[in-house]
Amino acid sequence: MTSLGGSSSSTTEYTVRVPKNTSKRYNIMAFNAGDRVNCSTWTQARMERDMSARRIYGDDESAEGAGGSEFGKKQRDEARRRKYGIITKEFKAEDQPWILKVNGKGGKRFKGLRKGGVTENASYYIFTQCPDGAFEAFPVNGWYNFTPQAKHRTLTAEEAEEEWGRRNKVVNHFSIMLQKRFREQERGGDDEDESEKTGKKKKNIGRGGELHITDLEDDLMMSSDNSDSSMGEDADGKSKAKKNVGKGKKKKRKSNDKEAVEESDDGDYEGLEVDYMSDESSSDEEPEKGKPSKTEEHLKGIDEASESEEESEEEKPNEEEAKEEEEEEEGKKTPVQTEKKKKKGKTGLIKQIRTWAKLCVCKKRTPPKRPSGRGSAGSSKTGSRPGTPSIDSATTSNTLRAAASKLEQGKRQNQGPTESPAAKRLKMDPSSQSPAPSGKSTPQPPSGKSTPSSSDVQLTEEAVRRYLIRKPMTTKDLLKKFQTKRTGLSSEQTVNVLAQILKRLNPERKIINDKMHFYLTE
Amino acid sequence: MSERGEMDLTGAKQNTGVWLVKVPKYLSQQWAKASGRGEVGKLRICKKGNLGKPEVSFTLNEELTEIEGMKNKSVSVPRDHPFTMQSVGGQMLTVFTENSSGQSEERSDCSSSGSGAGAGPDKLALEGVVVQRAECRPAASENYMKLKKLQIEESTKPSRLAVQLEKAVTSNYKPVANHEYNREYERRKKEEGKRARVDTQLVLDMLFSAFEKHQYYNIKDLVDITKQPVKHLKETLNDIGIYNLKGKHKNTWELKPEYRHYQGEEKTEDS
Repeated sequence: MTSLGGSSSSTTEYTVRVPKNTSKRYNIMAFNAGDRVNCSTWTQARMERDMSARRIYGDDESAEGAGGSEFGKKQRDEARRRKYGIITKEFKAEDQPWILKVNGKGGKRFKGLRKGGVTENASYYIFTQCPDGAFEAFPVNGWYNFTPQAKHRTLTAEEAEEEWGRRNKVVNHFSIMLQKRFREQERGGDDEDESEKTGKKKKNIGRGGELHITDLEDDLMMSSDNSDSSMGEDADGKSKAKKNVGKGKKKKRKSNDKEAVEESDDGDYEGLEVDYMSDESSSDEEPEKGKPSKTEEHLKGIDEASESEEESEEEKPNEEEAKEEEEEEEGKKTPVQTEKKKKKGKTGLIKQIRTWAKLCVCKKRTPPKRPSGRGSAGSSKTGSRPGTPSIDSATTSNTLRAAASKLEQGKRQNQGPTESPAAKRLKMDPSSQSPAPSGKSTPQPPSGKSTPSSSDVQLTEEAVRRYLIRKPMTTKDLLKKFQTKRTGLSSEQTVNVLAQILKRLNPERKIINDKMHFYLTE
Repeated sequence: MSERGEMDLTGAKQNTGVWLVKVPKYLSQQWAKASGRGEVGKLRICKKGNLGKPEVSFTLNEELTEIEGMKNKSVSVPRDHPFTMQSVGGQMLTVFTENSSGQSEERSDCSSSGSGAGAGPDKLALEGVVVQRAECRPAASENYMKLKKLQIEESTKPSRLAVQLEKAVTSNYKPVANHEYNREYERRKKEEGKRARVDTQLVLDMLFSAFEKHQYYNIKDLVDITKQPVKHLKETLNDIGIYNLKGKHKNTWELKPEYRHYQGEEKTEDS
């Protein structure tokens, strides 16, 4: 080291050495300025090559020899590749990215990608000063750009679009986050790391998260307006959790619908029925009154009903009747079945509703498929019976009734929502007070509106006579036949006209299943 | 003994500063030829007073100015190289080293896959932080210009060249039947002779041993292995094996399930 003195400048000379045989390979680790990485804060660091690309290159193919291998497969594959000119790049361990983990598990993670083209035209050297003052120059083998890796879960493209659509609607982000986390937990934590990390980051997950979440969920259940999707997600989550998905969904929807519908429909229909009853003669009314009360008594959850539905398969009689019904009109009464015959009883109303639903949906005279899940809770099995006496009702479940009423409603578009629905409802669902909505049946009504019957029935004496000759019917059944939609009369009118006709005809009466049936013999 | 992947952070802690210098290719080539301890030249740092920027220049040793392959010494590598100092910029550059304790430097990473050819785990160390960047530039001299001219001339030469032949090539006329090929074929046929049927038992043994190695075989390969006429072989195969027409392994023979005994297969029956 020689130093030349100068007046104001000082020059020092150093020897530069390029060590020859050193096994150390020098590389550059480059960080972005924005990441503000400070090496001195690192207490511990661990770095490994990311070899995940190896299997893509298929270096280690599946089982050489023994089970599953072919003779000469490798050669054949290679020949094929060469024939098609496919050139696959070799897997070079040197070029694989690095994974750097700083400060143990909870610390930062970086991924270092090799920068190409560094050593092509110029070489980089690292000049370090040795204790003896000389410089040592080491060639740089590779340049790696290190970027920090996100630990939080990122959304996929679909999720991101979803969230984007909700951005104006959703205000309460906190609840959504908790929901998401709960769902992840339920799923068993697909990615344990992430759930762990999110757990660590957010403080709340621990504090009886479950309890809170259930509250929130209840909350969410109540407020169906806020973020429908989250509701849907909730429902989905729940249904996933439950084995019986169908049931789960049913339950959820029913409960929802129950809540929604009861409020609006219950009160209305109560009043209506009274009106209707007052118009008719008491004899006629009695059975009908009886029905409502009976059905009221036998409130059963739709689960039961659905169970019974599924259990009891009364296909044959249903089919016949259904066919008959459909030939005539839509949506018919279910047979009168006492509760004693449990099977039958339970399916009574259900069948009604099912047929309603079915007929509403399929606007054709095709016989309803039994298991066609057209929607309504009961529609999986049709229980339509043509005008046989009204139901004694078996088990009316709230939801079924609601479904029934919905269907009815659906049918009568133009009317005052109250009367006709009430009237018709009584027919098909004798006592349905509180329309128990079944989620499945709710989609029916709108579609039901447009189902016309093939036969255009006018409320004439002839028609009534025809019906009564063929089969004994109750007034309800008759009313059903002459639906206001088709006859163009209001329900009141229909009732009146029918009453007149009956008086004129003076049919014979018979009591079948505690209901007054009329019939004619020719 | 450091654990695999564990980085040695002494350099970071000491905040060792290093320089990152960009050096022209020809110079690094010359440096590679250094002998002895590897001394290649001298670095001169001149500080002009208090505020002036330091001037750094590198002088190459005399002995290293000779270019390999240029015997006539008309062109030699320039000696003076001033350094252009640059700041590191926003980037944070650190230097880490890989030290493979085994003999194979390049493939030391293979140790992770378990196939390490005696190479131990890599020793990773953080050497330091880059505090200064510099570019080594040659002083513009006559010598350097000549050198550059030479380089350009070399690089402009096309890598592929069309050369006209004096004599036309006559060795690849197309014969009606390839004589060479014909000869070889006849020879082969004679040598092998017709494939004779050996005892069925022997054939079976051969087949079983073959199927131990691989599960699926093409009929042609089996004929090759057993040297049997095809018909006979097929009969034997029909006894013990099945012919796959569909699926992944098309048109291949495999042993019947009851004869199979492969590991890793879902159904392992006794043979």
